[in-house]
Amino acid sequence: MKKILLLFICIITVSFSSCEKDDICEASTATTPKIVIEFYDFLNPTVKKNVTNLAVKEINSTTSLTYTEISKIKIPLKTNLDLTKYSFILNSTDVAIKNEDFLQFNYSRQTIFVSRACGFKTNFTLDSTLPFIKTETSIPDGYWIRNVVITTSNITTENETHVKIYF
Amino acid sequence: MLILTSFFVIAQTKKADSIPTKIEKYGIRFGADISKLVQSFYDKKYKGIEFVGDYRITKNYYLAGELGNENVTVDDDRLSFTTKGTFLKVGFDYNSYENWLDMKNMLYLGMRYGASTFSQTLNSYKLYNTSTYFPEAPTVISGEKYDGLTSQWIEVVLGLKTEVIKNIYIGFSIRMNRLLTNTKPENFDNLYIPGFNRTYNGDFGIGFNYSVSYFLPLYKTKSIPKSDLKKK
Repeated sequence: MKKILLLFICIITVSFSSCEKDDICEASTATTPKIVIEFYDFLNPTVKKNVTNLAVKEINSTTSLTYTEISKIKIPLKTNLDLTKYSFILNSTDVAIKNEDFLQFNYSRQTIFVSRACGFKTNFTLDSTLPFIKTETSIPDGYWIRNVVITTSNITTENETHVKIYF
Repeated sequence: MLILTSFFVIAQTKKADSIPTKIEKYGIRFGADISKLVQSFYDKKYKGIEFVGDYRITKNYYLAGELGNENVTVDDDRLSFTTKGTFLKVGFDYNSYENWLDMKNMLYLGMRYGASTFSQTLNSYKLYNTSTYFPEAPTVISGEKYDGLTSQWIEVVLGLKTEVIKNIYIGFSIRMNRLLTNTKPENFDNLYIPGFNRTYNGDFGIGFNYSVSYFLPLYKTKSIPKSDLKKK
């Protein structure tokens, strides 16, 4: 009788303590991936090349993401539109040599269920015919981005490179 | 008249001397889960009913089961869904409580096999994004319905039942559930299963009920106390 009551109390305790566990979306869970871009030397295409003071800004956004002395960047894509247009400004801190190019990514979106705590995520597939559009800004300063190559068009993880930029 | 009363006195004194024989009533008991009814009353997102019943087969064993229907809407942080469906549970209860004289209480352990057929409707969801560069995308209204879902599970039941008025019982039970089969919808999950309750990442779940039931006696047996048996 006492043993059963003890078991009873144990079960109740266990039931309450295990309630919260899956209510938080853990950081390690793979959710909406960013697009991974790697920079290579145009003249020596197998060699990675670091960017200097690269400012990346979505054209309607007010804030820009800045990267320097790295060859790999991860930037988000819009989850409520089938395209995201970014401005890539190289040497953004130096007015004399800075150069701005536009790069628009075209894609389709897939909504994937993750879990109760995380909800859903978006995976992207870059358009097979026109995955990106490279355009010049109003100031004709020439392209600093010489070549763009799509290496993986299915953007489902951040563990691989999706786009290679040669400059 | 005098003879009759004296006979009564004799009978009573005789009874007091020996261990009284216990009368065991056998019959069917049926009722409903009050907690589900009460919740249906105050919780706009919940509508549920559960009928409970058991039938005494031996001194300690009861054939037991539950039949119910639930319509539950869950609004979580990231998503909102509605589950609708019917469930049936069948099994047994083993009464481990040794009743004194004419007490009819139960402290029991039981097992159930549970099954449910249901549908899930995804009402709305949010897209999880670790990047905060863009403002969070607005909640997506879905309304997608997943029909024909089924689940089966096993329950271990621990419960109490006590007679409060003649033949009226109140009971409480807690259940540890483990899923056996679960047909999940494409690109969604069974986050709630009628009868099983909320699902967790694993196969386990927790349930309880608070029942009021009526006992309909069908026949009686006299159980001879063990001390008497030894004498013979």
